[in-house]
Amino acid sequence: MFAVTTLIAVSFSIGSFRIEEAERPFLYSVLLWIILTFSALSGLARSFVKEEEAGTIDVLKLSARPQAVFLGKLLFNLTLLGALELMIVPSFILLMSYQISFPGFFIAVIISGGLGLGAGTTIIAAMIARASTRGALFSALSLPLLLPLMITCIKGCERAAIGISSAGWPEVKIAVAYFVIMITMSLLLFPLVWEE
Amino acid sequence: MIYKILLTVWMAIIIVAAFLYAEAATGFPGETSRILFFHVPQAWVATLSFLISMIASAVYLAKRRVKADYLAQSAAELGFLFCILATITGSIFAKTTWGAFWNWDPRQTSIVILLMIYGAYFAVRSAVNDPDRRRVFAGVYSILAFVTVPFLVFVVPRITTSLHPENTMNPAHPGMDPKTLKVFLGSLFAYTGLFVWMLRLKIRVLTIEGLREPKFMSRKPDNE
Amino acid sequence: MFTLNVSGIGKHYGETLLFRDISFQLNRGDVLAVAGWNGSGKSTLLRIIAGLVRPSAGQVGMFFNSEPIPKESRRRFVGMVAPALSLYDELTGLENMEFFCRVRGTACNRNDCLDIIDRVGLTEHATKMCRDYSSGMKQRLKLAQALLHKPPLLLLDEPGCNLDSKGIEVVQEIVSEQRQSGMSVIASNEKREADYADRVINLSE
Repeated sequence: MFAVTTLIAVSFSIGSFRIEEAERPFLYSVLLWIILTFSALSGLARSFVKEEEAGTIDVLKLSARPQAVFLGKLLFNLTLLGALELMIVPSFILLMSYQISFPGFFIAVIISGGLGLGAGTTIIAAMIARASTRGALFSALSLPLLLPLMITCIKGCERAAIGISSAGWPEVKIAVAYFVIMITMSLLLFPLVWEE
Repeated sequence: MIYKILLTVWMAIIIVAAFLYAEAATGFPGETSRILFFHVPQAWVATLSFLISMIASAVYLAKRRVKADYLAQSAAELGFLFCILATITGSIFAKTTWGAFWNWDPRQTSIVILLMIYGAYFAVRSAVNDPDRRRVFAGVYSILAFVTVPFLVFVVPRITTSLHPENTMNPAHPGMDPKTLKVFLGSLFAYTGLFVWMLRLKIRVLTIEGLREPKFMSRKPDNE
Repeated sequence: MFTLNVSGIGKHYGETLLFRDISFQLNRGDVLAVAGWNGSGKSTLLRIIAGLVRPSAGQVGMFFNSEPIPKESRRRFVGMVAPALSLYDELTGLENMEFFCRVRGTACNRNDCLDIIDRVGLTEHATKMCRDYSSGMKQRLKLAQALLHKPPLLLLDEPGCNLDSKGIEVVQEIVSEQRQSGMSVIASNEKREADYADRVINLSE
């Protein structure tokens, strides 16, 4: 819902011809990632808070291995992100008439960026659920960790749109590396958070 | 006590030497290169304290010693302070050489993200009431933040080009004036000493505050 | 052979002391009742034994054939019922049981789940959403969840809450059957439930 609202607000107020042709690839990729990240954050924050509010978190603790819980939540979050991207990215491209020179590279950036987004925030969501003030804490904790990923993905989408050499897909590699490192660290650290 | 006095004298010498003894490096407008003696050691201390904080956090998570958490917290707070100082001195230099206080140079970008990470670290600490849980969460967050740092330092600056002077002011660079090098190393030493002194003070404050945390009596008092 | 050894457990929140120096040992066949006023820490004591809360002092030891059981594998040995533990409202009773079977990784099939549900008298409602359960039915399902993996240690916090007389009988049966296979700790102020026990600890004393 948040995603659709922002998407419509952005495309309505900016339209597709308000921005200079030359600026479009860059500004559009910034806008796209802002919409994606913030709509993702509003959904991802809920994953553990939901269990805490329903009172099911303790039963889960009593019966499931922490790693299993983490991977389950991660999988759920990644599915959520996939659905979000599937909904937002095509409509963004259509509404803003976003020209993309390298669709394959573009899709790879979107997918790997989504993976990184999910991997970086799942453990934060688990911490938020156990904190006394939740409000804006989730974004405040997630964004500093996500910034390197976001900068990379914005750059990647821009390059895919303009069509400058994308040999080796460096941005995709960085995002995938981020994904792998964040998952490894989370699997190590999650049991500590979970058992507190 | 003696440490404090020695440190004060040493810092005074360095400040005087930085302006009078060392010569301004060529290639920079006027005397601006003298900021090297303050800006770089500040950045160094900020990095050092970030490293110490992260190692102390890991030690706390492994051993659950409260002392390690005090160290992690103190180092983070001092790191934040020195980070701000480095940002301010850096942007003064940026104004005089590049024309603007702020222009999102990769170095500036990374330091802002570092400041945000510190801010988030303090947010974790203030959001959790239970002291044990607070320590664990802060430790976990600091390790997570630490693993994203390589992405900042290496990934971000490579993508865009930096205006940050690297070679002309690098102490390892053979072209560095020997006088400059002497003062620079002295200043590095002074700042590190200052950091260690402040760190020890802060840990003492936290230890005293920690004594007020209710301690558990496992045996009933005799008069009961 | 499973044994539970609680030694010198104490808990405080901030400056408020809940209890201290709680020690006991349970062997197969034992039933222990924990009594005390509201707020005396009955539930907290059970949560500490289950490993959900860290004690401020003391240790909870679990042993299998005198071998200590490490913290991370204790969940197989403990089944717990408590007012604060809820099951998933958006699943049916049967789905809840199947879900917990799967996350526990215990080899149990649909029939085992149906057996457990039958034991707590919910067979007619097995395919109803838990959201539509009455509070007594929810309590019965919680009992089923705690028994699912046949744990040697049952922690029952107010097991009779919201239950009708038939439900109370079910609890009674569960506790007496548990004597054969393991032990139970019951936290309750109900006289009736304290009567199941052969030992009582009063936290208010």
